[in-house]
Amino acid sequence: MHFRYQSGQQTVEVTLERSGDGFRAQVNGVEYAVEVLDRQPGVLSLRFDGRPLTFYWAQDGSRKWISQGGCTYWLDPPAQRASQRGSEVDGSTAIRAPMPAQVRAVQVASGETVERGQVLLLLEAMKMEIQVKSPAAGRVNRLLAAAGQTVDRDQLLVEIGE
Amino acid sequence: MFKKVLVANRGEIAVRIIRACRELGIASVAVYSDADRRALHVRLADEAVNIGPAPASESYLVAERIIQAAVATGAEAIHPGYGFLSENANFARAVQQAGLVFIGPSPEAIDAMGDKGQARARMQAAGVPVVPGYQGSDDPAALEAAAAQIGFPLLIKAAAGGGGKGMRVVDQPVELVEAAAAARREAEHAFGDGRLILERYIPRARHIEFQVLADQHGNLVHLFERECSVQRRHQKIIEETPSPYLNEILRAEMGAAAVAAARSVGYTHAGTVEFIVDPQTGEFFFLEMNTRLQVEHPVTEWTVGIDLVQWQIRIAAGETLPFNQSSLSQRGHAIECRLYAEDPANNFLPATGPLLTFVEPSGPGVRVDSGYTTGDQITIHYDPLIAKLTVWGENRPAAIQRMAAALRETVLLGVTYNGQFLQDVLAEPQFTAGDIYTTWVEEHFNGWQPPQCGLPPEVLVAAALAQFTPQSAASNEHDPYSPWRMPNGYRVGQ
Repeated sequence: MHFRYQSGQQTVEVTLERSGDGFRAQVNGVEYAVEVLDRQPGVLSLRFDGRPLTFYWAQDGSRKWISQGGCTYWLDPPAQRASQRGSEVDGSTAIRAPMPAQVRAVQVASGETVERGQVLLLLEAMKMEIQVKSPAAGRVNRLLAAAGQTVDRDQLLVEIGE
Repeated sequence: MFKKVLVANRGEIAVRIIRACRELGIASVAVYSDADRRALHVRLADEAVNIGPAPASESYLVAERIIQAAVATGAEAIHPGYGFLSENANFARAVQQAGLVFIGPSPEAIDAMGDKGQARARMQAAGVPVVPGYQGSDDPAALEAAAAQIGFPLLIKAAAGGGGKGMRVVDQPVELVEAAAAARREAEHAFGDGRLILERYIPRARHIEFQVLADQHGNLVHLFERECSVQRRHQKIIEETPSPYLNEILRAEMGAAAVAAARSVGYTHAGTVEFIVDPQTGEFFFLEMNTRLQVEHPVTEWTVGIDLVQWQIRIAAGETLPFNQSSLSQRGHAIECRLYAEDPANNFLPATGPLLTFVEPSGPGVRVDSGYTTGDQITIHYDPLIAKLTVWGENRPAAIQRMAAALRETVLLGVTYNGQFLQDVLAEPQFTAGDIYTTWVEEHFNGWQPPQCGLPPEVLVAAALAQFTPQSAASNEHDPYSPWRMPNGYRVGQ
């Protein structure tokens, strides 16, 4: 059994093979002996190379969250990667939401010329307001946010072109 | 004692107050916005009333709806918690006018402390030290005379403004006149008002506050301090008591000043007098008084052995404090960490999402005040506080170790939160040495990233095993498409 995971820039492959009561696992060419000690919904206790470890995990869409020993990790399927970002398209600059928020105000119009550092939008979340400024001078090619709209983190708000 | 109390808040503090009511045999009424229909405080209360749409300005901040809900359910008193309407004197007045009891200080005391200028003057009159400052003629000679009185370094601020505009730190007397001129130009440009304020600048100041408690019969005590110097964006993230900075003499002086401050406005109920402390000189100055329950009240409860929320309710019901200052003492050390839905690696900006899994730590000396459980949503509408983790230990090192263990035991999946950051702060030698100040996090953790140990192999293996078990493999033995039958089959990222 092969599995591939993506976390940040890394793609890693895991191989599992049944072996007696447990498994032989291979990660990046290194082999580990693994035994499942207990399994509850969302909780997995393993003996991993002799060490007892408990993992909590949950699935959110295609993203898997895992926590162990006070560290939280998330893993995505590798396929997602290409569609995730891509901030520069045809020399234009994509401006994305730095946090999940409600758009309080849009201070530019489509087609308008903006200066570097000019405030494009105001976002508000959890009683905190932040200004989204243009990182470059240019023209507003696309305006994809409207006042009152709720946006996710990294959602495309504005595209500034030449 | 009251038979029924309405809790005009949400999240962990509403849960905390509902629990106190239950312990006192009082029925509780929760109020909730549309976004909180299934929230923990609603589930725990004896009754719950919808008070409007998700935005706080249309629900938790609408005084009339909350008072209406209290009247309709037959509640005799309203506990405002913290935030929202808790320091709104008009709300306190309206509650009283509706024939209900406001569980908090008098509207007059709220007003007296709410106006910063007025509070400063009152404190000076009561002999409570305030930050030395000057506001008057901008004539260079007058400024120089005032500066000599205040001492250096000092801060020049625009009288009309905020947001750092026109603000200058002046280290030496020779820089004063020129800095004042520059600040005046900037203030004129920004606010159309060039008037300036001079104030003592306290580098690396500590924020140390005192809890006070007063009944309606003239008994007023302080319940010692809380050190709240670990802050980000002027918001506290770690609080503790006793302060690692104070000695017995300074503690007694500041405690007496806190009591004098509260007495000067006829304060009743629980309140907090905030001071900034100059670690170089040991001088302390009144900052403001919070006329309500404080987020970090559990560390005081741990060490003094007094239930502050129960006493708020008892005081409102007319009970007398059964202790006086000399019978109060602290035992051991307590620390609070605030678990915030935010990304410390992204300027501490808010994060939202579903709480897919939330496992609270437990064990001796560990307390969790939480507003959410697994399955709840963290939304953009309210503040980012998910839960408060507080621990008690025999001494500060023991409490730090216990907190570190509790943070490691905490599991919170689905929402980015600051657990890893808090662990890093606790492990920092400057923190363990107690050498902290309000700008420390900004200075020391600028550009912080979670420790990049990559992805440990055990986590990857657990991810793979999470979906596939020997049992599921066995039950699929006759399924030709079972992944267990495909020795080289790829299951990508499941």
